[in-house]
Amino acid sequence: MRWLLNIWRTLTKPAKYLTLGSVSVSAFLMGIIFWGGFNTALEATNTEEFCISCHSMESKPYQELQQTVHFSNHSGVRATCPDCHVPHDYGRKIARKLEASHDVYGWLFNTVNTPEKFEAKRLEMASREWKRFDRDKSAACKNCHQYESMDWDSMSKLAVKQMKRAAELDQSCVDCHKGIAHKLPEMGTARAPELIAEVGRGVSGVQVGQTYFTALTKPLFFNEKTDVEAGTLNIATKVKVLEVKGTRAKIGITGWRKKIGAGRVIYYDFGLNILSAQLSKDAALEEGVIKTFEEKEDPMTGLKWQRVEADIWTDTDYLLTDLQPLWDYARSTYSTACSVCHTQPAEAHFDANTWPGMFQGMIAFVNMDQDTQALVQKYLQEHSSTFDKSAH
Amino acid sequence: MIKDAVNTETVEVNPVDQVRSTIYQLLSSLFAKEIDHKTLHDLTSDQAKQFWAQLGSEAEFKADVDVLVAELAKLNTDKALLELAADYCGLFLVGTKYSASPYASLYLSDKPAKKGDEPLLFGEQHQQMTQFLKQSQLQVQSEFPEPADHIAVILAYVAHLCTHSDETEQLSFINANLANWLGNFVTKVTEVDTGNFYQALVRLTHAWVKSDAEWLESELN
Amino acid sequence: MNRRDFLKGLVGTSYVVLSGSSVLAPLNALAASGADASDGWLTTGSHFGAFKMKRKNGVISEVKPFDTDMYPTDMINGIKGLVYNPSRVRYPMVRLDFLLKGHQSDTTQRGDFRFVRVTWDKALRLFKDSLDEIQTKYGPSGLHAGQTGWRATGQLHSSTSHMQRAVGMHGNFVKKVGDYSTGAGQTILPYILGSTEVYAQGTSWSLILEHSKTIILWSNDPYKNLQVGWNAETHESYAYLAQLKEKVAKGEIRVISIDPVVTKTQQYLGCEQLYINPQTDVALMLGIAHEMVEKNLHDTKFIEGYSLGFDKFLPYIKGQTDGVEKTPEWAAKITGVSAEIIRDLAKVMTKDRTQMLMGWCIQRQQHGEQPYWMAAVLATMIGQIGLPGGGISYGHHYSSIGVPSSGAAAPGAFPRNLDEGQKPIFDSNDFKGASNTIPVARWIDAILEPGKTIDSNGTKVTYPDIKMMVFSGNNPWNHHQDRNRMKKAFHKLECIVSIDMNWTATCRFSDIVLPACTTFERNDIDIYGAYANRGLLAMQKMVEPLYESLSDFEIFTRFAALLGKEKEYTRGMTERDWLVKLYNDCKAANAGQFEMPEFDEFWKAGYVYFGEGKPWVRHAAFRDDPEINPLGTPSGLIEIYSRKIAHYEYDDCPGHPTWMEKAERSHGGPGSDKHPIWMQSCHPDKRLHSQMCESEEFRETYTVNGREPVYLNPEDAKKRGIKSGDVVRVFNDRGQLLAGAVVSDKFPQGVIRIQEGAWYGPVGEDGSKEGGAKIGAICSYGDPNTLTMDIGTSKLAQACSAYTCLVDYEKYQGKVPAVSSFSGPVEIAL
Repeated sequence: MRWLLNIWRTLTKPAKYLTLGSVSVSAFLMGIIFWGGFNTALEATNTEEFCISCHSMESKPYQELQQTVHFSNHSGVRATCPDCHVPHDYGRKIARKLEASHDVYGWLFNTVNTPEKFEAKRLEMASREWKRFDRDKSAACKNCHQYESMDWDSMSKLAVKQMKRAAELDQSCVDCHKGIAHKLPEMGTARAPELIAEVGRGVSGVQVGQTYFTALTKPLFFNEKTDVEAGTLNIATKVKVLEVKGTRAKIGITGWRKKIGAGRVIYYDFGLNILSAQLSKDAALEEGVIKTFEEKEDPMTGLKWQRVEADIWTDTDYLLTDLQPLWDYARSTYSTACSVCHTQPAEAHFDANTWPGMFQGMIAFVNMDQDTQALVQKYLQEHSSTFDKSAH
Repeated sequence: MIKDAVNTETVEVNPVDQVRSTIYQLLSSLFAKEIDHKTLHDLTSDQAKQFWAQLGSEAEFKADVDVLVAELAKLNTDKALLELAADYCGLFLVGTKYSASPYASLYLSDKPAKKGDEPLLFGEQHQQMTQFLKQSQLQVQSEFPEPADHIAVILAYVAHLCTHSDETEQLSFINANLANWLGNFVTKVTEVDTGNFYQALVRLTHAWVKSDAEWLESELN
Repeated sequence: MNRRDFLKGLVGTSYVVLSGSSVLAPLNALAASGADASDGWLTTGSHFGAFKMKRKNGVISEVKPFDTDMYPTDMINGIKGLVYNPSRVRYPMVRLDFLLKGHQSDTTQRGDFRFVRVTWDKALRLFKDSLDEIQTKYGPSGLHAGQTGWRATGQLHSSTSHMQRAVGMHGNFVKKVGDYSTGAGQTILPYILGSTEVYAQGTSWSLILEHSKTIILWSNDPYKNLQVGWNAETHESYAYLAQLKEKVAKGEIRVISIDPVVTKTQQYLGCEQLYINPQTDVALMLGIAHEMVEKNLHDTKFIEGYSLGFDKFLPYIKGQTDGVEKTPEWAAKITGVSAEIIRDLAKVMTKDRTQMLMGWCIQRQQHGEQPYWMAAVLATMIGQIGLPGGGISYGHHYSSIGVPSSGAAAPGAFPRNLDEGQKPIFDSNDFKGASNTIPVARWIDAILEPGKTIDSNGTKVTYPDIKMMVFSGNNPWNHHQDRNRMKKAFHKLECIVSIDMNWTATCRFSDIVLPACTTFERNDIDIYGAYANRGLLAMQKMVEPLYESLSDFEIFTRFAALLGKEKEYTRGMTERDWLVKLYNDCKAANAGQFEMPEFDEFWKAGYVYFGEGKPWVRHAAFRDDPEINPLGTPSGLIEIYSRKIAHYEYDDCPGHPTWMEKAERSHGGPGSDKHPIWMQSCHPDKRLHSQMCESEEFRETYTVNGREPVYLNPEDAKKRGIKSGDVVRVFNDRGQLLAGAVVSDKFPQGVIRIQEGAWYGPVGEDGSKEGGAKIGAICSYGDPNTLTMDIGTSKLAQACSAYTCLVDYEKYQGKVPAVSSFSGPVEIAL
C-alpha cells in the first residue's frame, strides 16, 4: 500500500466560513444548554446515536463502518464513532467538539446531503481526520491497540518487521492503515494533479493487444476482482494489455530482475536499475505470474540477472498511449525544480545507474510529490548517458 | 541677479555671499562626479580662466589653483579624461584601503562611544546632515544616491547657507561639520591619490574653507 | 588685497559653475512628511539566521533573532556592517584598460583597482558586447558562466539563477558539476551508499539521543558549522546538542571526537578527543577494520544481506594483495594513534549502538573519496545502518540536518533556465570538441591547459578554451586554491564580469563590476529552519537599494531588455507578481496538508509555521527490505567493493577503499622535511565562507592585529619566537600570507589553522597596491588559499584538495603593510 502514503491533496477551505462558522458554534453551544449541564452534555454527545442523529451519516460512513472488522468481529468488541473521532483527553475533546460544530453548519446548509456531494467532499473530510490522527499519533487507535501489547509471534514475519519499526518510532497508525473503517476517498487527480492535468487520466476503453504507459504509479492485483494488492507498477512503465474485464486489465510487463531475494523487482532492461514493477512476495511466487527466460551476469556488480515477463492485473485508468507527454512534463519539472539551488546537470551527464544516487541525494529541498519524483528519476535514467552518447 | 542652484525662485543676495556660495557650489560639483567633456569645457572657458586667475591671486590658493589649471589643460584627450575619472573612482567610489571615501563619518575622530551602535555609513553624521537639510527644506537629489555626509552634500549645503542664513550660523555649521575633518581627509587623499588633480582640489578646498571661516569670524567681530 | 575685494573680484567670473546642477533638491512633500512612516520591526533572514530588524529614520538600526531561534549566532551582529559597508560596490564600474582596449586589454593589470564609473546602460552594453564578441569568436566553449556559489538567501532574487537565465538567453556556455564543499563525498557515495548522503536528511537527533550509546564525531565540528545554513537558519540542532552535552556529562552517551585539533564541539560537549595525524584517517579506519575481523566483531550477517564485495576487500585488509597487513600496529605508525587505542575503538564501536557522524573536511584532501568510502565500510561492518542511533551520517553538521522535516513543500524559485521553447540568441552547441560541463574545481586547469583531456568520474572531460567568465554572488577568489596560479590563469581571460554587493577579491580581478543590492534592500521569500523546513519566511525590504545598486531581478531584467527579451525573461511579471506567484504555488502544493493564509496576511505576519516533523531513521527502509527499497548503487546494496569504480582503472581510486600516501603530508609524510606544518583551512567560525568577512566591527571581534587569526601550537610557536598577537608570515613554495598569531594548546604540534573565507588582500612585498596584482604578492590579511594546492582529489571526483597543504611560518620581520582586503574606517598615517 506504499502508494497510499503519497501526499493527499484537498481543496483548501474557503475563508468565508468564518462568520457562518461562528453561527454554527453558537448553535452547538445552544444545543448543549438545552441538554443541561456541561459535563452531562459532553457525555451525551459522545454516543454513537448522538453522532448519527445529526451527522448525516446513516447513509454513508456508518454503513461503511458496518462492513468492517471494527464493527463486527469474533470478539464482539465494537468501535463506535466517538472512539475514533473524539479525542479521549478532556481538553482536546472540547476542542474537537467545537471543530465538529462545522458539521452543524454542513448539516444546516446541506453541504454533503447527497451521495455525490459526500463523495466530492470525502477526500477533504478524510484528510482532515488523517491529519488529526497524525497530530496525536493515532492516540484513539492506541486506546485499544498498543504496540507494547502486540503479540509478535502470532504475526507474519513481514508484519512483525513493519510493526516493530513503527513501534520504535511510535508511528501514527493511519500512516499505513488508512481506509480501515470507511471507504478510501477517490484519490484520482489528488495525486500529482499538475502531472495529470498535463498528461490526462488515460485512455477510455483500453484495447487488448495494445501497449500503454502508466501515468502514475499504480497498484497491481491478483485478479480482476480482488482488492488484495499484488504489488505496484511504476510510473512511465510500458505494459501490454492482454485481457480486459470491467475496470481491470490483465497486463504483461517485460523486463529483467536481479536474482537476489525473492526476485520481486522487475527492471526496464538488463543491468539497469530502472524500476518497472515491484511484486509482493506472494505474487512473485504465484504460479503463472512470472515467466522466466535467460540469465546473464552483470559485469558491474557481479549479480545474476534474469529476463522475465509478469502477467498481472491492474485498473484500466491512467494508461496512456504515448510516453512523450510524460517525458515532456518530467523534463520541464527537472529543469525548474532542480535548478533552485544549483545548475542541474544535463540528463546525459550521468549513466542510468548513477542517477538514482545523485537524484535521491539531492531532493531534500525539492518540491515534488512521490509520483513526480519517480517520474523524473525515470526520465533522467532513460535519457542518461547509457542511452544518449552525445554527452562529453 | 543670480538664480539659486536649488530653489527656483529668484533671491536678492549680496554679491559677496553669492560668490562664496558659488565657490562652495563649484567645489561640491567637483567632488560630486567625474569631470566630463561639458564640465571641462566650462572649467577651461575664457571666463573660467579669469576666475581661476582671480582665485589664484590669493597666495594661500595659488599653488593648488596652478596645479588644477595645469591638470585641466592636460585633459585634451578622451584617454586623459578617463585616467582622471579612474583617479576619481579609485579615491572616492571603490572604498578600498587605497581610497579616500568622501564621507565625514570616516574622518571624525570621535566615533560612536559604543561599537555597533551606529553603522559606518548612513550613520550618525548622515542622520545629522539629513536633519540640517530638512530644516532648510532640502534633501539629497535622488540622482545622487549617497549618504548625506558626503563632502559634496556638505559643501552644497554651505553654498546654500551662504545665501540663506546669517554669518553666525554659517560659521558654526562650517566649524562643526566641515572644518573639523577636512584636515584628515586631505592627508588621506594626498597619501593615496595616484594623480595630481584631486589632491590639489582637496587642498584648495581645505584652504578655502579655512580662510572662509576666518573671514566669517572677522566679519562677526 | 583684502578679502572683500578679493571676493568682489570673483563676482564677474563665477558664472562658470552655475551650469552644473546641485546635489541638493527641494525637500519633496512625501519625504518631508512620511519619511519615517515605514520605521519599525520587520522580518527577514539570511544564511546566518532568520531575524527581525528595526528600521529607524529609514536606516537599519537594530537586529534581533527570530522569535523561535533559541540559539542565534552572534554573526547577526555583523549584518548592519554588511549593508553599510564602505566596501559596497556603489556604481557600475569598468576596469580602465578594459574600457580603453576591450578584449585586447592588458590583463596583467587586473587586481590593481583602476576602475572608472559608468552608467548602468553603458555597463550592461559592454557586458552584452563582450558576450557577443566571445560567442562570435569562440562559440559557447569560450564562456564559463557556470561557477556558482552560496549567493544570498531568497528564492526570488537568487543571484546565480538570474545570471544564468539572462546569460543563457544570450547564448550557451560551459557549466560545472559538483561543488567545493563536498566534491569528493557527493561523487563517491552514490557508488557506495546510493546517494550523495552529504545533502540528504539524516536520522533525527531525538532518536540518536535515545538510542546511541557511542557517537563518533569524525573530523566533525557541528557546534561551529551549524551556525549557518543554506536557507534562513533557526538553529534547532543546538537544542539537541545541549541534550547531548547533558548525556555526556551523565555518562549516558560516549562521544569521541577523532580530530587532530580540539574542536569547538568537543569543548562544548566536554567529550573525548582522539588525536590523529592529519590526513591519515583511512589508515586508522583500516586498522579498526583489521581488528574487527581479527576478533570477529563485525556483523557478518548484515554484511552478507546488505552489502557486496566484502570478500574482495578482506584480502587487502589482510595484506594478501599488497603485502602489507593493515594491523593496528601498522596504522599506529601512520596515524599517531596507538595500537591499543585502535583495538579498543574496534571494540567500542561494535559493542553498543554506535552512530558515526562524519564531517566534510577529510574529503577535501587528495584521495578525499577514500575516508568516506572506508567509513561506510566500517559502518557496514558494525551492521547498524538503518537502525535508530546507529549507522553513518555525512551531514549532521549542516543546515539543520537531523531535525525532522516538517514535510511541507518548499517554495520554488525564479527560474534559472530558459522556459520551454525559448532559444538563446547564440544557439550554437558547438563546444569545438571540448566538454560543455567540467568538474567545478578544475576551471583554472581548463583556462591554463585548454584542450587537455582528463579522467572524471568514469568519463573523459576535455577542457574548453575559456575566454570569459561571469560571476554573480560568487567569490572564487576565496574558495579556489592557489592564488598565484589563479592570477596566471586570469591573465589569459579576455573579459571577466562580476555582480556583487561588496568589493570581493573576485570583483577586484574583474573587468566589469555591477552593484547588486543586499538581501535587506529587496523583498523576497524563503523557507526557515533549513532541512527542518519549519516554515516560510517573508524577507521584507528594510531599505531601498543603496547607491546605484539594484536587485538581481532588476539588473537582469534590464540586461534582458538589451537582448530584446525582457518579456521572455520576466514572463511579463513584476517582482511583486513573482513574489505572490512563488507564494501561491507553494500554497497550492501544500493544500490539504499545511494551511497557508492568503499572501497579504502572510506578508504582514512575516512567516507561516509548518509545524514539527516526525522523527525518522536514515536507511531504515533499506534495512527493512533491501529488495523493494534498494539503495541507488549499481547493485542496490552497499558496495564495499565497486566493480564499476574498479573498471575505471584509476590508480588514485581503485575498487575498494585504500590507504594512499598524499602529495604533501605532515608528521613525517612527503614534503614535511621542507615545510613541516599542516595547514587546516576549515570552514570559519564567524563567517559563512567569505560572507561577512567584510563586516568591519564584527570582524574586529576576532582579528588579531587587524589580521585573520592563525592558530598555533605553543611549542611550535615558541621555537619560532612567536607569541599571541604577533604578525606571522605563513609560506610555502606556492605563496605567502600574513596573519595574526593566536597560540593555543587546542592545536597539536605540526598543525596550524587558518579559516577559509578570509578575504584576499594582496600587496607587493613593499606594501604597494600595484604589487598586489603581481604573481608572488603577499596576502596582507591571511587568505589560506594563497598557500593551498590546486589539484583534484582523484580521477574520480576531481574535487578540490585544499586540505593537502604543508606550510611553514615565521615571525614577520618586515614593515607590516596595511590590510588591503577591505576599506573600513580610514587609518591615517599621521
